[in-house]
Amino acid sequence: MAKTSLDRKFDQIKKREEEKSFSIKKRSRIVSKFLNNRLAVFGLIIFTIIILASLFAPLLSPYDPMRVDLRSMRQAPSFDHWFGTDSTGRDVFTRVLFGGRVSIFIGLGSAILSAVVGIAVGCYAGYKGGWIDVIALRVSEIFMSFPQIILVLLLVSITGQSLFNLMAIFILTGWGGMYRLARARMLSLREEEYVQALRSFGLSTFTICYKHMLPNALSPIMVNITLSTAMFILTEAGLSFLGLGVPLNIPTWGNILNVAQDILILQNYWWMWGPVGLVISVFVLCVNFIGDGLRDSTDPSQQG
Amino acid sequence: MTTYIAQRLIIFFPMLLVISFLVYSGLELSPGDAVSHMISPELASTITAEQLDAMREAYGLNQSFITRYWIWLTSMVQGDMGYSMAGGVAISEIMVKTVPATLELSMVALFFSTILGCSLGVISALKRGSGTDNSLTVAGMAGVSIPEFFFGLVAILLFAIELKWLPVGGRLMPHYETVWDRIPNIVLPSLVLALMMTAGAMRYARSSMLDVLAREFITTARSKGMPEWRVNILHGFRVALTPVVVLIGFRLPLLIGGSTIIEQVYQWPGIGSMFIRSVRASDYPLVMTISLMYVFVVLTASLIIDVLTALIDPRVRLGKE
Repeated sequence: MAKTSLDRKFDQIKKREEEKSFSIKKRSRIVSKFLNNRLAVFGLIIFTIIILASLFAPLLSPYDPMRVDLRSMRQAPSFDHWFGTDSTGRDVFTRVLFGGRVSIFIGLGSAILSAVVGIAVGCYAGYKGGWIDVIALRVSEIFMSFPQIILVLLLVSITGQSLFNLMAIFILTGWGGMYRLARARMLSLREEEYVQALRSFGLSTFTICYKHMLPNALSPIMVNITLSTAMFILTEAGLSFLGLGVPLNIPTWGNILNVAQDILILQNYWWMWGPVGLVISVFVLCVNFIGDGLRDSTDPSQQG
Repeated sequence: MTTYIAQRLIIFFPMLLVISFLVYSGLELSPGDAVSHMISPELASTITAEQLDAMREAYGLNQSFITRYWIWLTSMVQGDMGYSMAGGVAISEIMVKTVPATLELSMVALFFSTILGCSLGVISALKRGSGTDNSLTVAGMAGVSIPEFFFGLVAILLFAIELKWLPVGGRLMPHYETVWDRIPNIVLPSLVLALMMTAGAMRYARSSMLDVLAREFITTARSKGMPEWRVNILHGFRVALTPVVVLIGFRLPLLIGGSTIIEQVYQWPGIGSMFIRSVRASDYPLVMTISLMYVFVVLTASLIIDVLTALIDPRVRLGKE
């Protein structure tokens, strides 16, 4: 029997499939969409560079971020000191690198931990409903009745200043948003057929909500983690700038900027606060680009 | 409608009560009590335990926690906010001085950010996908990424120190009495605050405008042969901006919270810089009163938003939560 044109087409496809020339497009739709977003890729590159630079800070800079050197104080940027030196002769570039470690750790760490708390509560409460959900909802409403910065300042005045306290405070103020997000996703997923099927199989509540439902709610959560990382880094910088964040002996981006409260330094020694302010802005902007790219590539309703 | 408002009010007051109790007990847990803050370090070495106890009794600190909370709450409801520990000034007096300054700053910033945000958002929506739209979106993201105090510092350096156009900070200069004399002081802080707030308003105005432009009455207006600017302004703009303006109006609490650091940068004598000062000095009565005032403002605003959205959209009040 003579081959029709359709048969020939199928033969071609079959041949190509056997040669495995189809497998080039193995990347998922989300990844390729993210990579097509120029701003997101740009953000990811700079984000990675800044993180690597602060991780490998000792290799990049010969100076000690804490060592006071009074012979070389308040020097303008030069080949030896890229961002100049501060009022006690410490190399500002080195301090920015080491400060990045703490600031990024606080930002990313608090965002991830508050997501863990929020999701753990939100998934279970959203799926189960009942009194657990009512209580969790009311508690999160209490935290959301404060402007964020006011609540953080209030908690700082209760607990006192330390790195650990600050992260605990950030988690306490940040879990509510995450909880509400996870809960809302769970409420809509709960009525889907596959969940009812799982329930009729007799699977335990924990398995259903954490193993089967949670993965379907993960993309908005990822977006939210990036956005709250940006927010926590900004809040840490603001608090440390006021002298109410991380204790001043630990270099963080906010603590380096703290000197700019002095109008003489603001006016005469721009390198002590300008570059670090730019680094914070660029880093947070990159995190926001990444978050936006993630949202566009994972959420089909958010295009345009 | 009445039942809906009643429901909201039933949540409102217990919420305020619970929060005030939590804040009161939180500050109770913090180290030291009012007496230990009143005594200077020099005095502390000479004072005896009996004298301390006598002082505690005089201030009613030896009563149980619940009793003290009750006394505090009842006097608060009657309008007696107590006294600041630093300087012993009546808290109500501090509030009267600082709240108007913050309101003034926030209102001006809100005004600028609304106008700027709405017009940029609408432009962005009309030129969707163009270079203007993309650069406005990126600018908006930069606006939320730059730390507000850093932006404020750069503005001080540029406009106050280098160009000497505007004062570095403060609200009232001596001998400056008329409204016109006070304008230079508010320009920098309010504009910095407004620019930081613009991004959100812009994003919201853009999506609302895009929403409206896709509706059928816009197509109808176009098909009647109406010029494009008339379609956009008379039909699109007007419909799109009503919800935006309502929403922006109620971002006031957010703005009041957001102005805290800017007030500090510009030495603006408002409630935000007072709050920072009281946190630094561990002035617990003041910390507590100011933070509860913020909570009151936020809760009231969200109550009003709920009622307004219910008025606009009947689905909200008929449907369950």
